[in-house]
Amino acid sequence: MNLTDLKQGTIATVFDLTKVSELVKQRLIDMGLFEGQEVCMKCTMPFGGPVMVEVCGQCISLRRREAASIGVK
Amino acid sequence: MSQFALFGNPNTGKTSLFNNLTGSYEYVGNWSGVTVEKKVGKLRHHNGQLIDLPGVYSLNPLSKDEEVVTEFLLTDEFEKILNIVDASQLKRNLQLTIQLLEFGKPLLIGLNMIDVAKTRGMSIDEKKLSEMLGVSIVPIIARSGKGCDVLSKELTINTNKEIKPSKLKIDYGFLEDAIERIIKLLPDHISMNKRWMAIQFLEGNKRVEGYIYSLKIDETSLEQIKKDVEGNLVNRGVKSSIRQYIYNVRDQKISSILKEVTDVASLKKQNATELIDRIVTNRFLGIPIFLLFMYVMFMLTFDWLGSPLADLLDGFLSGPVTDILQSVLTAIGASSFIKALILEGIVAGVGGVLVFVPQIFIMFFLISFLEDSGYMARVAMVMDRVMESIGLNGKSFIPMIIGFGCNVPGIMAARTIEQPKERLLTILLTPLMSCSARLPVYALFVGAFFLKHQALVVLSLYVLGIVVALVVARIFSSLFFKGESSLFVIELPPYRIPQALTLWRSTWEKGKGFIRKAGTFIFGGSVLIWLMAYAGPHGMNVEMDDSFLAMVGGLLAPVLSPLGFGTWQAGASLLTGFLAKEVVVATMNIIYHVPDTTSLQGILSNHYNALSAFSFMAFVLLYVPCLATVATIRKETGSTKWTYFSIIYSLLVAYLIAIVIYQIGGLFL
Repeated sequence: MNLTDLKQGTIATVFDLTKVSELVKQRLIDMGLFEGQEVCMKCTMPFGGPVMVEVCGQCISLRRREAASIGVK
Repeated sequence: MSQFALFGNPNTGKTSLFNNLTGSYEYVGNWSGVTVEKKVGKLRHHNGQLIDLPGVYSLNPLSKDEEVVTEFLLTDEFEKILNIVDASQLKRNLQLTIQLLEFGKPLLIGLNMIDVAKTRGMSIDEKKLSEMLGVSIVPIIARSGKGCDVLSKELTINTNKEIKPSKLKIDYGFLEDAIERIIKLLPDHISMNKRWMAIQFLEGNKRVEGYIYSLKIDETSLEQIKKDVEGNLVNRGVKSSIRQYIYNVRDQKISSILKEVTDVASLKKQNATELIDRIVTNRFLGIPIFLLFMYVMFMLTFDWLGSPLADLLDGFLSGPVTDILQSVLTAIGASSFIKALILEGIVAGVGGVLVFVPQIFIMFFLISFLEDSGYMARVAMVMDRVMESIGLNGKSFIPMIIGFGCNVPGIMAARTIEQPKERLLTILLTPLMSCSARLPVYALFVGAFFLKHQALVVLSLYVLGIVVALVVARIFSSLFFKGESSLFVIELPPYRIPQALTLWRSTWEKGKGFIRKAGTFIFGGSVLIWLMAYAGPHGMNVEMDDSFLAMVGGLLAPVLSPLGFGTWQAGASLLTGFLAKEVVVATMNIIYHVPDTTSLQGILSNHYNALSAFSFMAFVLLYVPCLATVATIRKETGSTKWTYFSIIYSLLVAYLIAIVIYQIGGLFL
């Protein structure tokens, strides 16, 4: 399952960041999104726009393509 | 004087703290080599200077402004580190703190937002945290200024005495061996902490790497150490990079510290932020709400609040001020030349522009409000899909909005964009945003030709700027930057009501430049233009049509005639408008020799009609970025080629659009 499969308001744990491009991964880690963290899907923008997730009480927005390469369970 | 440096994550209240600790700016300049703003403030009640640094997550830079921080550590002298830490985001914030502790300079923590942490049900034992980290911690609420006095006092005592660096030392396990090997390779004469350098090198910090290589150390043996470590990671079955491994080691340490010092009662939600987000980032309402905000912002600046104020100022400048100057000049017996120069040149030119100070300040105020409230990041998210389709990302939208105030800070704001391609493209597009300096030109023409639909016509120009920017971006990204990947990750800070002090300061910082411009560029330009209009090939005090100004402007007139304004007056004012776009109005005031805006508008109706006026405004909007903007583009891109490119393409676009408006519009009207 990947991050985009989450329904709005549901929580999952990140377990795989290896498929994410290096620069994006670095930014996500900086912001506190890395393996073992719980993420909550907040909302998705229309027409394939970015998603907004919450990690540790912090909201982060990233593109759907990148979110789709983040493995969660 | 002692210098202290302020470090912290983005969105931790760094600016609030800086404003609370410092009374006035010692100076605001640029960091050497880059146009990232360097702000140095004088501490209130204490002796010392505080240096504001861009917010960073770690010392390992990904974007241009983050580089400044690492550069600062490597090259600048300072006494102590002041690290602002967001108590509600401790885990993440301490990553930076640990790197700063490893740097080895005396460090003081300002633990901010203890109130926010508390409302989220988290209590922190500051004493224990302070013991475990081995540094002093002062709890503060930067927004209200609570605890800032104590922090300031703590910061300035013991500056001369040697303070022991923190005893906290993180054990990086099997990396320690590699760290030791690197330290041995580093020469003895460097004053910086070698362990810090070694760790940063292993983490892949490019700036530190460059610094180490500049010390003439055998690069191959350094690279070999790194390769050994990477091999070791694989052998141990660790899938991550060295950087991530180091991050994880730190994270474990931080978690173990936090377990002892924090007590989480119940994780309460941030209700207000969540509620607002549910509306403004709603799937369908997001973009309409943003447009509504822009509309309100625009109406406030232009219509509801700005115009009446500008009219008042206009009346004051053309009435009492001119009268007083006139009687003073008569009283001291000034010659008619001086009298004409001051009244018809300077007062008409500079005054004609100063009139717009209220509108420009309102615009800057509203932009500062958007910046500080946390809404900007949402705008970036909402607009990302649109921006992606033209080869940019949502973050590019922020420089563009700031560009509505002034293109110069807009272009500078592009430095937060990580991808060089997207950054360059954003820099090239930002000058198309209708900055406040163009407002005087619109105000003048709209008042003369579009009395009934003032706001609507001006709004259409703003929209025109955006649409042209989007189209141009699409063309450029498919022409020059084919196949380069785009990136978008952004943090969405909780909403905050901006603080009065911070708002005022950032409004003033931005607006000041405009007033300064009136005293320099516009003043000088007005004198020059007046002289050129006063003198001609056949002597002084000639008829305006025989002046040098008319000659120069006349050269351009035939080129401009298909656009609907082929007069020497238009040519001359556009030419001088390159200095600063407001000068277009200053020049017109002088050329048409009128005391105030109203009579100028009357005269203009003899030279323009509604269509050519609109075509002229569109041309002013798009043609060449002003001098200051060109200089900023040069600095930020570091390329003469792209600087010329930005001038030439905008001229072409302006000409094309204006000709389309005038010729096609002419068919219907």
